[in-house]
Formats: sequence, structure tokens, C-alpha cells
Amino acid sequence: MARALFLKPIKGAGGDLPSVMGFIRNAEEIEHYALHEADLSGYAALLLPAHLDQRYFGTLSTKVSDWLDRGGTLVFNGHVAWPMLPEFNAFVALEKRNLENLQIHRIADHPVFAGVDMADLTYRRGVAGFYARGCNPPPPSAVPVLGVGPDRVPCDWVYERPGGGRIFMHAGNDLWMYASDKTSARRIVPQLMDWVLGAAA
Amino acid sequence: MTNRIAALDAGTYYHHRSLYEDRYRGFFDRIVYAPELAETDLTDIDVLIVSCRTDPAVLVPQGDTIRRLLNQGKTVVAMGSTGAQQWLPKVDWTDLPTNFWWWKEGGTLGLEVQAPTHPLFGHIALADATWHYHGQYAPPQGAQSLIGVTGEGSVFYEDRVTTPGCMLVTALDPMYHHGSYFMPATTRFLDGFLPYLKETHKLA
Repeated sequence: MARALFLKPIKGAGGDLPSVMGFIRNAEEIEHYALHEADLSGYAALLLPAHLDQRYFGTLSTKVSDWLDRGGTLVFNGHVAWPMLPEFNAFVALEKRNLENLQIHRIADHPVFAGVDMADLTYRRGVAGFYARGCNPPPPSAVPVLGVGPDRVPCDWVYERPGGGRIFMHAGNDLWMYASDKTSARRIVPQLMDWVLGAAA
Repeated sequence: MTNRIAALDAGTYYHHRSLYEDRYRGFFDRIVYAPELAETDLTDIDVLIVSCRTDPAVLVPQGDTIRRLLNQGKTVVAMGSTGAQQWLPKVDWTDLPTNFWWWKEGGTLGLEVQAPTHPLFGHIALADATWHYHGQYAPPQGAQSLIGVTGEGSVFYEDRVTTPGCMLVTALDPMYHHGSYFMPATTRFLDGFLPYLKETHKLA
């Protein structure tokens, strides 16, 4: 049975970043600063939190790239700020963050977002802007999945690496914060798990 | 005479934006990668800012370094969600459910300025400190709450009695939200708070 590994976020004393473990199966989580000691060979997927020490993760690029070469799926949440992997480029924020510019649009069908109403991503209790405020620019042959604003800036994209493995990029808060959402956005977590573990490849 | 400030960088994207981008870069005489604090020479530094959400698991093993700065009469600023009660003395913290939505529900957050003559309020207004908080402090005897919840605890206090230095302890997490391009009040807070620390804050 394929398994996924979640990296716990760095966090302060607050309890505002609940674990996703109660919502999924076939997954484990490890402490943030244990990643360098983790044997990734037993995992089909590695899922990174937006609260990531990117300087630490950047020291593990060879380990992670080697694991991707062997067919791993990496899910990244957040804004790219530090050098980490060659496929990553530094976050570019939207210049204007008004309502029109914060609308989320589907660019390509993807199993992770099947049945998810884009309005449920654009708005949270009627307020826009939680989902994405820019993008981590994709490599040229990546597939843009969701875009933000009239220019469809690719806030979510998927990249099938020529050397093996896949990268799922989301330039925003952890996708699993929708695990208990009351809207169609709650479809994301189970569909993401199916996809990273191969059931919907 | 201005204060020389060091800020901790925990490697997050929001610290990168809050510390390294042009808007605030000039306030920091040194930016220290948080896991390397204990091996960094801070002799010439007056104020250490422990940036929002720096992992207490990184800070606790370096607590002696932080407390030594206080014993030397320096100032330590503990920003929100850094677990200050785990690495600073006499910090009494209560975790509370966070009300993110008071502004949509017609209510208020209940914050008030509790030391109106404090020089901080020459740099920020209450509205600049009003977004949400993740819990409250009970400041120790002799410390001064600067911003608190009416009839409840403090979300920002100054302690000049517990150590030879000064501790500024807050539940507010502006670097996280400014660094996420979110919530303009958090940017206004930093626009005022950093000049306060640089130019106005009196060392112990």
C-alpha cells in the first residue's frame, strides 16, 4: 500500500494549525526538523506545509531530487522565497489585490479539483483572497491547473519531471486546511490523497 | 543614538518578505537564521526580535543565549506564536480560540490601549494592532500591559522588572500576515513598531 508523508509545520504555541491526520488514511506525519533523517524510499508522496523552514528544506535538495527521480510526488504549499529545488522559482505577488484580481479560475481539469466550485476557493465567508495572491512561476512545460485574476496567474500547477516524479505546486496556505470545509472545497483533501497515492493518476 | 536590532529568520516565506525586502530591511543591523542564534555574536546588538511563529523547538535549546542578552540589559521582543513561555522567564500564557471573523459579525475584538502614555503609541494606533490574537498573557507583577482585552488579559506587555533587560512580549503576529500579503493592519503595525524599536525604545 502506497503511503504519504506529511511534514509537520513549524509552529508556535498556538493550536491554530490542526493536523490533517484525522481526515486521511495511508499517511504519516513527522516533525519538521526530522526530514533530513527520514527514509523517503517508503513513501509515494511528500507533502510540505506552508509554514516551512525553506532554508532547512533547501539543504535537502539532493535527497529530495533523488527521491523524485525514483517516481515520488511532491506537494508544495506556500510562497517560494529561498532556493530549494531547480523546478522552483521565487513567488511573484499580484500587483493589484482587488476582488477581480483575486478570483480563482480553473485552467485545466485535474482530479484534485474535480467537483470543486471555484467560487468556494475565491471566497471564504464572502471574503476573497485566502486561496492565492500570486504564483510561484512554473517551469515552461508544467501544466497550469488553477489561475488567479483575469490573467490567470498559475497559482496551482503540476509538473511531470523529465527525470521522473511529479511536483504539485500551490502558492497559498495548506490545501488540507479545507479538510473539514463546509463547501465543495472539502473534496480537495480526499482527491489530493487519491492523486498523490496513484489511485487517480 | 539609535538601537541596533537583530531579527531572527526562521526560514519561512513570510520572514523572507518581512525581513529582507526593502520596506523594512534597513531596520535590521543583523538577520540571524534562528537555528544559528547561539553561535552568533550579538555583542553590538541592543534589541533581538524573535520573529512571529519561530518554532519554540528551535528556541528552547537556545534559551540561555536569549536570557544572557536580557542579563546584559538588552531588549528581547517575543512576537506572536513563538511560545515565549517556554524560553522567557515569568511568562504566563493562555491559549484561546482565535476569533478571525469579529469584523464580519458586527462585533469588536475588545482590545484597548492600557498604557496610553507609553511612547509606543506615538508610533502605532490601536487600529494598527487590531486583527486577531491567539491567546492572552497575564503579565507578572510590575510589568506593564500596553494592549489588552478589556477585563481580561494582555496581548502586548513590557516587563522591565523580571530581568536586568527589557522584554516586550506580544500575542500579535504581524510578520506572518504582512509576509503573506494579507491584512493591511499588520503592515501598519510594522510600519510603526519597527521605527519605535529603532529610534524611540529606551533600553533598560
